[in-house]
Amino acid sequence: MVERLARIGHFGTFAGQVLWRSVTPAWEVDAFLSQLWALWWRCLLPVLATTTPLGMVMALQGLQIFDLYGAQRLLSPLVSVATFRELSPVLASVLVAAQGGSSFAAELGAMRIREELDATEVMGIDSIRVHVVPRFLAAVVATPLLNLAGSLGGIVGGYVSAVLLKGETAGVYWSNLWVMTRPMDLLGGYVKAITFGAIIGMVACYFGFYARGGAPGVGRAVNDTVVVSATTFIVVNYFLTSALFGAIG
Amino acid sequence: MIGDLLAKLGEFGQFVAAFSVASVRNPPPVVRTIEEAYRIGVQSLPILLIVSVFVGTNLSVQGHNAFEQLGGQAMVGTFVALAGVREMAPIMVASMVAAKAGTEMASQIAVMRIQEQIDALEVMAIDPLWFLVTPRLLGILVVLPALTMISVATLLVAAWVVAVSQLGLNGADFIAQCADTTRGADLVYGQVKAFVFAIIICLVSCFYGYTSPKGAKGVGQATNAAVVVSAVVCAVLNYLLSELLYG
Repeated sequence: MVERLARIGHFGTFAGQVLWRSVTPAWEVDAFLSQLWALWWRCLLPVLATTTPLGMVMALQGLQIFDLYGAQRLLSPLVSVATFRELSPVLASVLVAAQGGSSFAAELGAMRIREELDATEVMGIDSIRVHVVPRFLAAVVATPLLNLAGSLGGIVGGYVSAVLLKGETAGVYWSNLWVMTRPMDLLGGYVKAITFGAIIGMVACYFGFYARGGAPGVGRAVNDTVVVSATTFIVVNYFLTSALFGAIG
Repeated sequence: MIGDLLAKLGEFGQFVAAFSVASVRNPPPVVRTIEEAYRIGVQSLPILLIVSVFVGTNLSVQGHNAFEQLGGQAMVGTFVALAGVREMAPIMVASMVAAKAGTEMASQIAVMRIQEQIDALEVMAIDPLWFLVTPRLLGILVVLPALTMISVATLLVAAWVVAVSQLGLNGADFIAQCADTTRGADLVYGQVKAFVFAIIICLVSCFYGYTSPKGAKGVGQATNAAVVVSAVVCAVLNYLLSELLYG
């Protein structure tokens, strides 16, 4: 128990250091851009490959209910609202954690094990500023961008399932798409994605930066990153949902 | 890109074929299966409970919001039962187990590979595929359907608590709607999905661990690839299974 508290305190100290260096100059702009680019390309395909089938599933299950009431026109609003509010932010973030976060942890962990991080420290270079901050900021910026891609994937998935496979009318799908979607739904989705991105970046860099014990240690860091960040943001998601959408109904 | 993908797929096919032969040729590893099942189950249970609780509460809040616009606040129970039991629980359990147990399988086997423990097993005339993969597969096949059931129950209870305390709905109505909506077949289909996802997670994770590149970075990459590939394949198969079972 005490050990766990110590761990949380340790994480807090690390997070404070990273956040402080994120808002003070000098920024490693090139490193940030290359991390952002790498993260975007690495995650784009996995994000699309999960949100699209889930959009299809949602259309499939939604149609079964709406067919009962003859209310097929409600399908695309359902797909759009659910995608923007929940599906895309959460799924895109799960995939960013699995693909991007775990690769951050693997890279930093391998650098720690091979004593590259110690070497940079010896050379008087701030390793958090050089190696951690660009990755953290890249996660914060890339997750909302991937959320955008994910929402498009979900909506196109719904279209494929409802219109192309189940023979609903394309016009009904597209013209009703925005009927129930409000700016708050989009905005809330992006608030979520940015928060989740920050959680992923911080957790991944923490576990990677303090990896110990050779190759098994790197494996453990990757494992912990995915589990801890996914669990944390699913918990945070409920509170964000209540705060962002609970009041507006 | 495409060439790489096909090569990987071919390699995976060979791995599965070799594994199947090894499993059939050797006696079933009963004790190690029980050990693995216990470990996978106990490891994944706490995070699964946390995640199920919060997915359940979230479903209630979102269902309430969505139906309020149509004047059907009372439909929350139906929504939670449909979305939660049919879709969310199986795929969520699969993703969390892939993240927890799948990555662990990949990193353990990858470490054994780079420390040449797998070669040592071969030297001792023990088939490494049978020794390492078979108990994990049998273990996860036992555990994942059970975890799915536990998750369904947890999710419904959490959704009920939120519906009654946060949203102020009638608890008895909520339970009646859940009971009306959920058919026995839904639960069975959830188990079918869990069964398929278990096979995917285990084989993909063990494959990436078994063919891990050398070095500390290699272990990280193998673990990384294991969770991403199994999550993506499960999401795609989830659609096909839903189409097949509910379509």
